[in-house]
Amino acid sequence: MIRVGLALLAVLLTLEPVCGQERTPRNANYSIDVKLDAQRRTLTGRETLTWTNIGGGPAGELQFHLYYNAWRNRDSTWMREAKLSEWWPPRDDLQAGDFASIDISSVKITGGALPAADLTTRMTFIAPDDGNTDDRTVMSIPLSAPIAPGETITLDIAWVSNIPRPFARTGVVGNYFFLGQWFPKIGVVDASGNWNCHQFHVLTEFFADYGVYDVRMTVPLAWPLAATGVERERRDNSDATTTYRYYQEDVHDFAWTTSPDFLERTARFEQPGLPPVEMRLMLQPEHAAQAERHFEGTRTTLRYYGEWFGAYPYGHITIIDPAWHSETGGMEYPTLFTVGTRWLNPLADIYVEDTAVHEAGHQWWYGMVGSNEFEDAWMDEGINQYANVRADAEALAHGRQVIRFFGGFVPWVFGDVRWDRVIDGDGIASYRSGLTTDIQSTAAYKWWPKDAGPLAYSKPALWLHTLERALGWPMMQRMLQTFFEKWRFKHPRPGDFFLVANEVSGRDLGPFFDQVYRGSAVFDYGVENVSSISKGANSFMSDIVVRRYGDGIFPVEVLITFADGSTRREAWDGGGRWTRFSIAHRSRAVSAQVDPDQILLLDINITNNSFTTEPRRSQAAAKWASKWMVWLQDQLLTWAFFV
Amino acid sequence: MNMSGQRAEGRGQTAEGGGQPPSLGYGALFDGMARVAQSPVILGCVYLATLVTAVPFSMLMRDSIASHLGNSLAAEEAARGFNYRWFIEYQAQAGELGRTLRTTIIGFAAVLDNLSALADKEARPASMLWLGAAYLLLWLFLAGGILDRYARKRPTRSWEFFSACGVYFVRFLRLAPVIGATYYVLFAYVHPFLFNEIYGSLTRDVTAERTAFFYRLGLYAIFGALLIAANMTFDYAKVRAVVEDRRSMIGAIAASLRFIRRNFSAVARLYATNGVIFLAVLLVYALVAPGVGGTSLRVWLGFAVAQIYLLARLWVRLVFFASETSLFQERLAHAGYVASAEVPLPEPPIVEQVVG
Repeated sequence: MIRVGLALLAVLLTLEPVCGQERTPRNANYSIDVKLDAQRRTLTGRETLTWTNIGGGPAGELQFHLYYNAWRNRDSTWMREAKLSEWWPPRDDLQAGDFASIDISSVKITGGALPAADLTTRMTFIAPDDGNTDDRTVMSIPLSAPIAPGETITLDIAWVSNIPRPFARTGVVGNYFFLGQWFPKIGVVDASGNWNCHQFHVLTEFFADYGVYDVRMTVPLAWPLAATGVERERRDNSDATTTYRYYQEDVHDFAWTTSPDFLERTARFEQPGLPPVEMRLMLQPEHAAQAERHFEGTRTTLRYYGEWFGAYPYGHITIIDPAWHSETGGMEYPTLFTVGTRWLNPLADIYVEDTAVHEAGHQWWYGMVGSNEFEDAWMDEGINQYANVRADAEALAHGRQVIRFFGGFVPWVFGDVRWDRVIDGDGIASYRSGLTTDIQSTAAYKWWPKDAGPLAYSKPALWLHTLERALGWPMMQRMLQTFFEKWRFKHPRPGDFFLVANEVSGRDLGPFFDQVYRGSAVFDYGVENVSSISKGANSFMSDIVVRRYGDGIFPVEVLITFADGSTRREAWDGGGRWTRFSIAHRSRAVSAQVDPDQILLLDINITNNSFTTEPRRSQAAAKWASKWMVWLQDQLLTWAFFV
Repeated sequence: MNMSGQRAEGRGQTAEGGGQPPSLGYGALFDGMARVAQSPVILGCVYLATLVTAVPFSMLMRDSIASHLGNSLAAEEAARGFNYRWFIEYQAQAGELGRTLRTTIIGFAAVLDNLSALADKEARPASMLWLGAAYLLLWLFLAGGILDRYARKRPTRSWEFFSACGVYFVRFLRLAPVIGATYYVLFAYVHPFLFNEIYGSLTRDVTAERTAFFYRLGLYAIFGALLIAANMTFDYAKVRAVVEDRRSMIGAIAASLRFIRRNFSAVARLYATNGVIFLAVLLVYALVAPGVGGTSLRVWLGFAVAQIYLLARLWVRLVFFASETSLFQERLAHAGYVASAEVPLPEPPIVEQVVG
């Protein structure tokens, strides 16, 4: 009975707030009318923005993101960085009509603290990050008078956009349109009163204030459409178009998609103790049989993230299955996210479920906890990666390694190779590939583009996972839950997370964060030698030498195993370059393992973590070399076709 | 045996077998299988050649793995089953060749990996390419002896076999630039044209992966057909070079093309049947291919199964040769028609004394 009461209380506490009750400051509210010309691949839009300065000082200008200009030409900062990136490699198949643009035709003040004025002629492009004069992704509009903190203005903005062939998960392929980063979006005035409105970079995308979005989208007649929020209205027009109105409160972005091919599926998430969520899936026809897999991934997140961190509050969520090679898969927007699956997709390949878990997870780490992705990309991607993989481990144990052959179309399941949380989830190989290229505390948009992935995803996932193993999951869960509750619908910085971590754990985790976040310490512990000498009948003195090969310091345990099967654990603070354990025992030591429980997942070399006096390297080497030889022989025979 | 007479006979026959009644080609196939079965030593020989070529690199790989594992306990799990963490660590830290130790070497994935790499023109380490070149050279050397043996359809002594290898190796070396150039054009120009330009253009606005997959299958079929056409041409060029003792390799290619044109149906059917046998071998191996393996016994059992598969692959390649030889002889010559060069043996020292 008490349990039922508590569950009811939890549901009540997490229900949608009643009308007028605001979760967020709602200082950036958009009312948008936009029309898609599917033939010309253009958007014609007009938005009314009601903006309140909630920053720490007056705003003498307005700054807007014009994301679509990132693909206006090959000289934008995004395109220049793409040349250095493996994430969005430069494409050589671009044709003239594949580029994008967003051109503002008018900007007017129509109400609020400042008198009505036409600001159109005052628009300039600025490049606060790199001074690139060819970059037009940030627009500045000087004001005749500053807008003081707490003051509100209303702006009317009209624009026309060319929709690109997809870049960075927005654009058009065939008759599939995915529109993200598509409207003029105001930047953020920070606590010091300065604008935080970065150019569009190849690996960083979001930072915006919360508000209410009321958007009317006109598309060709009866084309199915999905968007952030819920549909409020739909009407067919006389010009063979349909207008959809979607509405959502307390979000910081808005995305939508339309295609005549979409199949629609719905399901409901229900879990004791959590509010129900209506799930809507827009599916490609060739993936009709995979609908449940999308829902399953989403359910996993709604359940585990809901239980671990806090309930999903919006009551509805939309999942988009993007068109093939649209490059719009795996992307998060408020109350909507894209996944991406394959036509031939065995159940053992959990990519679709994992992606759904990850992108749904961004509703917490990006959507509700609105960190600055331009600067602190790890706060949404890294924390979410860690949590997503943890949820995977709970729900997707059936995963196996799958490799695709023949142009990536034909999957092959390795039944013997189980999905591994550290390898396939946290991405330890990716982390190791970019160990020292950059320091995580450097603003994310300044990271070396090639290694931004490891810094945003795998490194934080691994150091969070390391903390979990060191502190225990209950502590870790409490830490993240506290951080979530404290910073939900706000803009936390890394220091805020570290503060919560210290407070909740009751420990000074600063030295650890100094190494993994403020530095690029390399962790590598190893056992150098195990030796024993006889000291008489049933008496041996064993020496175990343990080394720290990297510059990273972490307290470790050493497990020593003796010939009689007994074991002994020794602790080492890990500070020195080496240490020796001299142990008297009734039998000789046969092996030693540093960090035997693999708590320090950041260790770059696990193989040297152990030493045995009875190595089986010959058997292992013979086994794997023989398998490799078969592969080589087969390769030779394949080539023999040519003779 | 009057070889010159036979050559004259061969040249005099201009019909290129075109006047023969159509056959299903199975006769040549079964005859080819019989010829391969009659000379198991050849199968053993090419298997040994493959093994010997692969062993040195495998020894290097073994040493590299052993060195990486050192005295680590990681070896226990790697020996017992699959130590995923050690595996990816080794990949990350190994050299160019070592990085090819991927999960794709396990079981039937190895076959898919190699076929896929061929179909998609994926790069392999330079050292492997050199090894592959050496292996192809070895095949080129053996091809003359193999074809000579199958054409004769009777046992030959080893000196006869190797003398035929030597004689035709020189000729096939002259054929090699043509073979190389043809495949170079196919992979360097035709492949990118098909799979980058045509495929890119066909799928540019395609939103369904299934459609793209079928486009790709179609392009694989086209590219495969070109490879098969080249392969068939060079196979029959070699067959004709050996059976008719041709010295001009350009002439052998022209003769091969003539033969294929005049007997296209039978040639194509034979090739397709051989292809089906090849696919059947792959299918069987897909069903029985060993996985990661556990104890030593299972590992070596798995290795033995894989070697049987490789033997079967080699057998298929030899059946290709033998059945093509058989078909050619059925259509244009006969078993006794073989005109390989006679190797003049030196006189024994006793001759000096006898003559003296």
